Amino acid sequence: MTETQPRRDPQPRHSLRTEILEARPMNLDGFVEEWPEKGLVAMESDFDPAPSVRVEDGRIVELDGRARADFDFMDTFIANHAIDVASAERCTSMPSAQIARMLIDPGASRDEVLAVTRGLTPAKILDVVKLMNVVEIMQGMQKMRARRTPANQGHSTSARDNPIQVAADAAEGALRGFAELETTLGVLRYAPLVAIALQVGAQVGRGGVLTQCALEEATELELGMRGITAYAETISIYGTESVFIDGDDTPWSKAFLASAYASRGIKMRFTSGTGSEVQMGNAEGKSMLYLEIRCILMAKGAGVQGLQNGSISCIGVPGAVPGGLRAVAAENLVASMVDLECASGNDQSFSHSAMRRTARAMPQLLPGTDFVCSGYSAVPNPDNMFAGSNFDTEDYDDWNTIQRDLQVDGGLRHVREDEILQARNKAARALQTLFAQLDLPAITDQEVEAATYANSSNDYPLRDVLTDLKGAQAVMDRGLTGLDLVRGLEAGGFHDVAENLLTVLRQRVSGDLLQTSAVLTADFTPLSAINDANDYAGPGTGYRLAGERWEQLKKLRHVTSATNPETEVR
Amino acid sequence: MDTAPTTGLTAADYPLSVRHPELLHTPTGKPITALTMDAVVSGELSAEDLRIAPETLRMQAELADASGRPQLASNFRRAAEMTAIPDAAVLAMYNALRPRASSGPQLAELAERLETEFSAPVCAGLVREAAEVYARRNLLARPAAGSDPTAAGD
Repeated sequence: MTETQPRRDPQPRHSLRTEILEARPMNLDGFVEEWPEKGLVAMESDFDPAPSVRVEDGRIVELDGRARADFDFMDTFIANHAIDVASAERCTSMPSAQIARMLIDPGASRDEVLAVTRGLTPAKILDVVKLMNVVEIMQGMQKMRARRTPANQGHSTSARDNPIQVAADAAEGALRGFAELETTLGVLRYAPLVAIALQVGAQVGRGGVLTQCALEEATELELGMRGITAYAETISIYGTESVFIDGDDTPWSKAFLASAYASRGIKMRFTSGTGSEVQMGNAEGKSMLYLEIRCILMAKGAGVQGLQNGSISCIGVPGAVPGGLRAVAAENLVASMVDLECASGNDQSFSHSAMRRTARAMPQLLPGTDFVCSGYSAVPNPDNMFAGSNFDTEDYDDWNTIQRDLQVDGGLRHVREDEILQARNKAARALQTLFAQLDLPAITDQEVEAATYANSSNDYPLRDVLTDLKGAQAVMDRGLTGLDLVRGLEAGGFHDVAENLLTVLRQRVSGDLLQTSAVLTADFTPLSAINDANDYAGPGTGYRLAGERWEQLKKLRHVTSATNPETEVR
Repeated sequence: MDTAPTTGLTAADYPLSVRHPELLHTPTGKPITALTMDAVVSGELSAEDLRIAPETLRMQAELADASGRPQLASNFRRAAEMTAIPDAAVLAMYNALRPRASSGPQLAELAERLETEFSAPVCAGLVREAAEVYARRNLLARPAAGSDPTAAGD
């Protein structure tokens, strides 16, 4: 067709405004009507069960309208392990509005709320949070978050699985404030080299940052056992029995795995999220949030200290239905209100709209969570091997400015470029030296130089992938451990980095990082829900962004000096 | 449930690495203070020295109990038992607990082994509970399934 031909089927004429709106990135996002029969509904469905619980002889014999003989394995696990039998009948019979009010009432302490929530069934918890609007959900989160001090987690990955890039970006990320850093792979066989790079880069940027490498369960555990990674997170659980089985696990296999990690002194959290069941095709006609609450209680029953939730890799599903992001905020609140560490999503990218991406993060950023993002992309999104994050390196200045504007602590800070270049360069040199010490594939000076000034994987010389993969295999075959990394760094003259890593490894002997919401501070003090318990009790209490930390967050790339308007504050 | 002697730790004793380093030992019997760079460089330390001891996990269980987290405490008590199980065996047991990976008798045998070979009664209890639920929910391996799942997966 050419424009000179007459149109046979003239389209109705659009206004110029409609054309502008149609062209907005927002309209590349997908939206869908609710379909409750298939579970395509956020949190309000007539097909969800009504709350009920009955106890006989110290055992729960009825849960949310189902008798024990009819329990599926989620019901059974939750009834046997998650719910406090002694208080279940009393707590579940309390009016839902009373419990919802306790969640936002500064006069009710966190412990008083926990005394009620530990006796609630999944349907009762749903009934409570259904009463709460998004501001009330945030108020609840502010009080119920387990750790008093909020934190953030970053992703450091590479589209080419380039270990030098991962090390340099980990160093920069650690320096900018991430308390945890996570990597994963394009080519899985690269894992040992990239996990080592992440660990080295993190310890250069800020000693005590915890690292993990997301892989299938067995390999992830092995890297942890060897002390190459410090914690694990990608232990997925699901809200229906059928989807759980599709994932080749049960609540008992996952509970066993949780103990396996603890038995090696390794911090671990489970992962779940709204939308996973409907995405995997078997929501059994229940709402996304009801199923997620079952996951949260399963995690609680397994005795795992925490959970990564907030839809995570299924965010497109709740993101497409009405009230979906309210449900996502509610699932974070539920994890916190049953006393689990919550790494609260804001990771996988889900929208083309910058405004919508920002709005999605407000219910976690404003009240603060244990980890506001459970992967902010500390690399440009095209390098993010978790399929891109809601925020990436291009958003660093925006994030820092929002923290400063609203005086909230999102875990990051502005860092001057000279410090960043120094850290990136040092991370690349440390890895170069370590690889040489361990007889792993060489890193050239050109690569170190590239790492110092690079933005993305495109800015690095190409690696010899086959040689790298042989090196990665050698790490496994030779049985290299975290201790070998310490020795190599020390022998190569990177004493401070070696000492940082040794201190992280020594932590697993103490088990302190196994407690709820634990992170390591810059002076290597374990900070968890025990020694940094959230004590929010209304205005003027709890975590307040003040003092030295607030001074840090006042700094941005460009701030005009008050005394000399011709200059900028450094 | 757990009858192990307690040391009377409370939440105020956390973090043990800061407040009570004297209570912390490696499974090889070294005090945590012996894990120094000098010891690493001189080759005195092996990876075995950087593992957590069962006594430490039981102390962390006490701290979890004292902080109102009974499920976390139970997890640490299962973990204390598992410190005695070699890495490959832990992975094989995990695989044996996957859906339809083991028959009823195989799970019973695994529970028995946990109790007798590894003195792990709490873990054995978890396996027995799984076996009961798997039987009811049709998640046991079909008898005809050829290989021994507990032998695989290391």
